[in-house]
Amino acid sequence: MSTATDSVYRRFLRHRLGVAGLAVIVLLFAFCFLGPVFYHTNQVETNILAANLAPGVQGHPLGTTDVGFDELGRLMVGGRSSLEIGLAAGLLATGIGTIWGAVAGYAGGWLDAVMMRIVDTGIAIPALFLLLVAGTIVRPTVGVLIVVIGVVSWLVPARLVRAESLTLANREYVLTMKALGGGSTRAIGRHIVPNAIGTVVVNATFQVADAILLVAYVSFLGLGVPFPGTDWGGMLSNGISYTYDGYWWMIVPPGVAIILVVFAFNVIGDALRDAFELRLEGR
Amino acid sequence: MRTTAPAGGVPRRAERRRRPSTAQLAAALGTGALLLGGLGAGSATAARAAHASRGATVTFAEPPDATPNAIFPIATAGNTAAYNSAIQAELYVPLTFYDATSGKLAFDQRASVAKSIVYSDGDKTVTVTLEKLKWSDGTPVTSRDVQFFFNLVKANKDKWANYVAGQFPDNVATFTIVNPSTFRLRLTTSVNPLWFSGNELSLVTPLPQQAWDVESASGKVGNYDLTTSGAKAVFDYLNGQDNHLATFGTNKLWKVTDGPFTLGSWTTGGAVTLEKSSTYDGPDAAHLSSVQLLPFTSADAEFNVLRSGGLDYGYVPTSDLSQSKFLESKGYTIKPWNGWAINYSPYNFNNPVLGSTLKQLYVRQALQMAIDQPAISKAVWQGEAAPVYGPVPQSPPSPYLSATQKANPYPFNPSKAKRLLESHGWKIGTNGLMTCKSAGTGASQCGAGVKAGTVLDLHMLSESGSTQTTNQMEVMQSELASIGVGFQASYAPLNTVLSETAQCKPTQASCSWQMSFFGTQGSWYFSPSPNGDPLFASTGSANFGSYDSPVADKLAVAATTSSNPAALRAWSAYLAVQLPAMWLPLPAYQVSAIKDNLKGVSQDPLAGQTIQRWYLANG
Repeated sequence: MSTATDSVYRRFLRHRLGVAGLAVIVLLFAFCFLGPVFYHTNQVETNILAANLAPGVQGHPLGTTDVGFDELGRLMVGGRSSLEIGLAAGLLATGIGTIWGAVAGYAGGWLDAVMMRIVDTGIAIPALFLLLVAGTIVRPTVGVLIVVIGVVSWLVPARLVRAESLTLANREYVLTMKALGGGSTRAIGRHIVPNAIGTVVVNATFQVADAILLVAYVSFLGLGVPFPGTDWGGMLSNGISYTYDGYWWMIVPPGVAIILVVFAFNVIGDALRDAFELRLEGR
Repeated sequence: MRTTAPAGGVPRRAERRRRPSTAQLAAALGTGALLLGGLGAGSATAARAAHASRGATVTFAEPPDATPNAIFPIATAGNTAAYNSAIQAELYVPLTFYDATSGKLAFDQRASVAKSIVYSDGDKTVTVTLEKLKWSDGTPVTSRDVQFFFNLVKANKDKWANYVAGQFPDNVATFTIVNPSTFRLRLTTSVNPLWFSGNELSLVTPLPQQAWDVESASGKVGNYDLTTSGAKAVFDYLNGQDNHLATFGTNKLWKVTDGPFTLGSWTTGGAVTLEKSSTYDGPDAAHLSSVQLLPFTSADAEFNVLRSGGLDYGYVPTSDLSQSKFLESKGYTIKPWNGWAINYSPYNFNNPVLGSTLKQLYVRQALQMAIDQPAISKAVWQGEAAPVYGPVPQSPPSPYLSATQKANPYPFNPSKAKRLLESHGWKIGTNGLMTCKSAGTGASQCGAGVKAGTVLDLHMLSESGSTQTTNQMEVMQSELASIGVGFQASYAPLNTVLSETAQCKPTQASCSWQMSFFGTQGSWYFSPSPNGDPLFASTGSANFGSYDSPVADKLAVAATTSSNPAALRAWSAYLAVQLPAMWLPLPAYQVSAIKDNLKGVSQDPLAGQTIQRWYLANG
């Protein structure tokens, strides 16, 4: 097992774009979580007399927002929320989807049919619509956004894992375990999910990227992290109001940050997929 | 006996968005010219009509995230926004209409049904003669139509958003039809004619009794309004029809009009088309064949359309004022529309959690001193707003403004605000917020009804759609946090905010709101006599937060009977100190962008629009 893992690791490292994506993610995490340790700004109290300052003015490298927050510091705070929500919601969605899909695929029959029809129905409803409805019912916070985004995003991983589960459930080692009296929980927990891990991990990276985009969407529509908190989508939404004023520093940095993080997670996903595929071929 | 044109500006009481003010208004208010009214605009009508493009259509932008939602001219709670009354005035001519189109705030007879108003018997009797107008079904507009309105309001005053106990219709002892074109009101007491004509009669709109006096869709027209039970049934039916926005364009009730326009269409999304009435035979006919009033979910969305030239009459968000030159190069004139108004956020004194706390004057003083209005006006509204220090409009100057209000009794001073709370038994708790540690009624205690452990953590329901309003809320949150007061804002469309900001009792579920803001374009546009009685009188229909002060009530009543501006100054001074609401900067009604060829537009300080006078210049 450890040899297989090492092999995946080596193959991942050979994927240059994937490594670059990983480096971007590491840098962004460092920027958002370690940055405030070295670059101190007040991101709680507004300073409207210093609003809309251009980059470089009065010691603000990236200027200030429309209520006087330092834009660079704001980018760190906003990124923290975006990454926290994206990561947690992506993992939550992957977790729910994995369990759901594994159970459905392993159980088969009417239970599989019912569970997958629920998935089909859920997929037919746009996630953004569900998020907007949820956003008007509950007051958005980081925790609420994680749960809401996670709960509306698990459908695709459920389908993928179910397909894997259908195949794995008929493998000899699973059939043997069942013949020896092994239960469903053991089969799913010890054989189905671990052997579908490649699919799960690859999908998790895409889920994180999608979740970060979803956060940006809902924030752009005004249902993001409440003030004085923020996230990159909310910053972008706010900046758009000043498009015609030429306040590019309120639009470009959060926009670039969103593009970077989503791109990075996607190339990491691609790299992981290639790495896992090679492992399978090796068998 | 003396005759007045109904003076002052029509204070459509319950319409919280009204009209902008001009320098001429100051002169009018100061000299009493209001009493005579100017009709100068009328002389130019024929000339304008001659130059107007026939068959022209004009597009007009409605305020951001705020859409018309009522056509029935008897406003109920939640239906009180100014754009409703502006549309209604085009369909149903009000008894008296006031504006500043003549250059001074005055009775605009052409836009009114009343031709003359005569006060007699020591100002206890009012005789009104009507202009010759007819309904679209050919029936003349008569005194009976005014009586129909009066009867409906009298029987349903608890539902009428403009009602103030003791005032119209309570102060009318008898309503007498002298003849079809004249009626007489005998009042219960002598009144200030300026106030009664400007603030009371302006609330009256003659309604088509011959078509609307019905109790159900299948019922026959009768004289049901002559009994209280009948008037209640008729009102319920008409008000019920007013709740069906989707049917406004087709409902036969609303087809009977006497105004210069008829209703073409009205969508649930708020898009309204007015079409020139082919049956209007009064002195103020529309020039344009139709006018489209278009809704926008945000000021940014509106500005994108404006910038592309898609609007004849729109507005520039203050964040985009730098684009004025560009718009001017595209054929627009940029012109601020300032109002005879105030801006405030009502406190809900009956809120079960913080009502008792908000009843403490020292708490309201501390909150007011924590808000830096000059800085918000300058930075958030980019200079297109002015601080408000009391209940009387501060600009243009008027004899009603007290020295106390003008001087700002509570300038921005967060450290003093914090000390004030601490001196009354509040301390910062572990959650970082002011918490009542010393309950009781002593001088250094939290005050009557405030329980130990109460946390000063406020929630504001604010209208959405404006970046400036959102920014103002964020700045307020930050400023209040500096004195240890929590403040969270949530946002909703204007109509939602208005309907949720309702008078309530502490036990009611609807009493959960604590503060509310509906002032992106100003919270309240006044009548000529700005006594604001519906706002802060204990029985006022628009006293949303249930402010209750016998002194304020007495001062407001005095202003209705005395012609001396000192009465209103006393009211101004008292409430400036007592803080029945949180005073907030007053933005312009809007910074308008008007196509250069759109003429006849008057940006009236009272927020009236007189759309019938708009025309497109040829060439």
